[in-house]
Amino acid sequence: MTEKITSKELSKKITEEYLDEAFHAHEKGKLIGYSTAISPVEIFVAHDIIPIYPENHAVANLTAKKGAELCSVVESMGYTSHLCAYARSDLAYRATGKTVTRGIPEPDLFLACNAQCFTLTKWFQVLARKGNLPLFVFDTPEFIMDKRAREEIVKYCVIQLKELISFLEEITKKKFDYDRLREVIKYSAESSILYKKFLDMAQYIPSPISIFDALIGMAIAVYRRGTPECVEYYRVLCDEIQEKVDKGIGVLPKEKEKYRLYWENLPVWFKFSDHAKLLGSYGGVILTSLYVHAWSFEFDLDKDPLVTLAENYVSRFSNSTIEDRASMALELFKKYSMNGMIMFMNRSCKAVSFAVPTLKDVLTKKTGIPALVFESDMGDQRFYSEAQIRTRIEAYFETLDGLKK
Amino acid sequence: MWEGLDIKEIVEMAKDPYPSIKEWAERSGKKVVGSTFADAPEEVIYAFGLLPVTIMGTTKPLKRAPSHLPDNACSLARSNLELVLSYAGDVFHGFVLPQVCDTTQHLSDIWRINLPGKYVESYLAPRQVDRPSARYWVKKELERLIDSLSNWTGMKINDGELVRSIAIHNENKALLKELYELKKKNPSSLTNKELFSMIKLSQQVDKEEFNRSLRRIRDTIKPRGDSDGFTDIVLAGITCDPPEIYDLFDEIKLNVVGDTLLIGTRYIQGMVPEGGNPIDALTERHFKRGFFSPIHDDVFKNFEEMKTIYRETGAKAIVYVHIEFCESQEYDLPDLKKMIKKEGIPMHVLDTEYQTLSLSHVRTRLQAFFESLKGV
Repeated sequence: MTEKITSKELSKKITEEYLDEAFHAHEKGKLIGYSTAISPVEIFVAHDIIPIYPENHAVANLTAKKGAELCSVVESMGYTSHLCAYARSDLAYRATGKTVTRGIPEPDLFLACNAQCFTLTKWFQVLARKGNLPLFVFDTPEFIMDKRAREEIVKYCVIQLKELISFLEEITKKKFDYDRLREVIKYSAESSILYKKFLDMAQYIPSPISIFDALIGMAIAVYRRGTPECVEYYRVLCDEIQEKVDKGIGVLPKEKEKYRLYWENLPVWFKFSDHAKLLGSYGGVILTSLYVHAWSFEFDLDKDPLVTLAENYVSRFSNSTIEDRASMALELFKKYSMNGMIMFMNRSCKAVSFAVPTLKDVLTKKTGIPALVFESDMGDQRFYSEAQIRTRIEAYFETLDGLKK
Repeated sequence: MWEGLDIKEIVEMAKDPYPSIKEWAERSGKKVVGSTFADAPEEVIYAFGLLPVTIMGTTKPLKRAPSHLPDNACSLARSNLELVLSYAGDVFHGFVLPQVCDTTQHLSDIWRINLPGKYVESYLAPRQVDRPSARYWVKKELERLIDSLSNWTGMKINDGELVRSIAIHNENKALLKELYELKKKNPSSLTNKELFSMIKLSQQVDKEEFNRSLRRIRDTIKPRGDSDGFTDIVLAGITCDPPEIYDLFDEIKLNVVGDTLLIGTRYIQGMVPEGGNPIDALTERHFKRGFFSPIHDDVFKNFEEMKTIYRETGAKAIVYVHIEFCESQEYDLPDLKKMIKKEGIPMHVLDTEYQTLSLSHVRTRLQAFFESLKGV
């Protein structure tokens, strides 16, 4: 009898195969396209361009606590310490070759989608200039709350996707295959449903997953969506978590799970496991965030493929109004029965963080739940104060306890 | 109110135009619409009988903005927010807020949520300009803005009103251009502070009235001393604040002969072609302006533009004004500096914040830079 492959093993296998292919792309006549994590990458996949996400590589280095070292290098090159730690650590990696991984292949072209943030666009501009390489900016205006405006925004995005296709055809001298795109979107649609199912398992009490599991689990959705192996991965992952649910296994035992928490923003990567342990010691589990839900797409396979791509990418939380972000978060509060929230003001990520104070006001007002707000950086340890954060977490849980009495 | 101003009065009013705007609105019964940088089509707003005012921060202390935007947010964004939350909110009946970067995108939301009861519309400028879709989008946004303003004011505008508004705005820019040319040739006729105060105030007051002041100044302006001994410079960046920086330039006899600022040449470049369909002309104008980091994706263009101005004007150096925490500038600057240096062009970078009270550090560095330049 063959042993069932675990999601961890499958993730490792998919990642290794993906990177192997990427490192040998040119030998196979393929190009490497650097992409923002939120971007209509299905178009790359359908056109045999291997997407590489410098953000993922940056996460590996930042999680391994290399942030301060790498960021210092880039500051000596004239970049300020206020820029995104992903960008800073990446630019430093390019200058020094320092990385905890095998690195990432050099790019042939760039796709920057500003539905994620404007920072990536500027970062990619720096890289494109360096190599004198082509860059396509997929401009996604804020998905404002006006129905007619939204229709126009989607039309504008569809026109740009057609421009993107022409841009790729011009570079590769190869005709774009729309049937292949439909197939790729079908895989993305399927894996997205499963990915969302995985995230939504945090509804159970006790929750079988925490946001830290979600952050590990989202990696394949980020860099392998649009492929059958991505679908397979989430099928295996969902089965594993379902098994935990069936057995009543939680991140914390049911009797110890006191605080079911919402997290706003990206994680503090270099404190990833420390935060899980610290919160767990108080009976706290962070269940979810809008960030991990950014890859829960809802592709409509009955629509024109470019329309459903445009609709999905332009409406990500990071490109939505603060009012819409609040509605999305409130829905999660209700669904996951959350009773606390940690709002992280991430110096690196202006696109997410500048909404945080206003979002916090709206969420605390609508839920009646107080929020813990703290400022730090997702990757640069120099902006992190351990003692201060511990004290604040302790004080916050005391406040929540006070409310329960 | 703004038709009979002399140079001294313009400089004074440019420091804090809001009391006069408020008085003007009360007297005329017209509504005031604020916009932040950049590229809000003020001709459209004006055509509705509204007063478009570009909001350019305050030097007054920050009190409420820090609770909405952290200290690593663009200094201008925080300053603008403070201005409307604490100091001049009652001047404005509504806002048309262009979105050109992450910060301005959030600012639109923050203003809408924190200023209930006011008209707040976003102007979704394209953040790419080299593809046909950008033209398509500018036109769509202009049409959406017209619809939105119609709904708010209950008014419809016709092409005639738009054409008239364009003519007034074009005349304003033409006058500023003439005055700029006069100043370049005869720096003693107009100080840097005076010229840039005129350009600034032009973006904040009724242009039909203000054009009369500018016309009279143009017709009567005379050299006020010796025009020798000035060092010609190019001023680059997005804006230049606080305005006392111009005093420093004047003090050490620097003559700005070219610039790339939104409150300078890039504004003057926004003349709209007359004679055709006004919406098409306004669309076309969007692509005629110079480099603006958040919407142009190629810093080589910025470099080429700065280099061309430097060569054509025969300036001795470039002074680049960096607004603290403007992410867009911060990603461009290291490469830009390298390119400028490679070209052998002397460049000095000024780091500024809107709430800066003391410019002593700026003065010292600026003086040292120009002294070393003389020694070359």
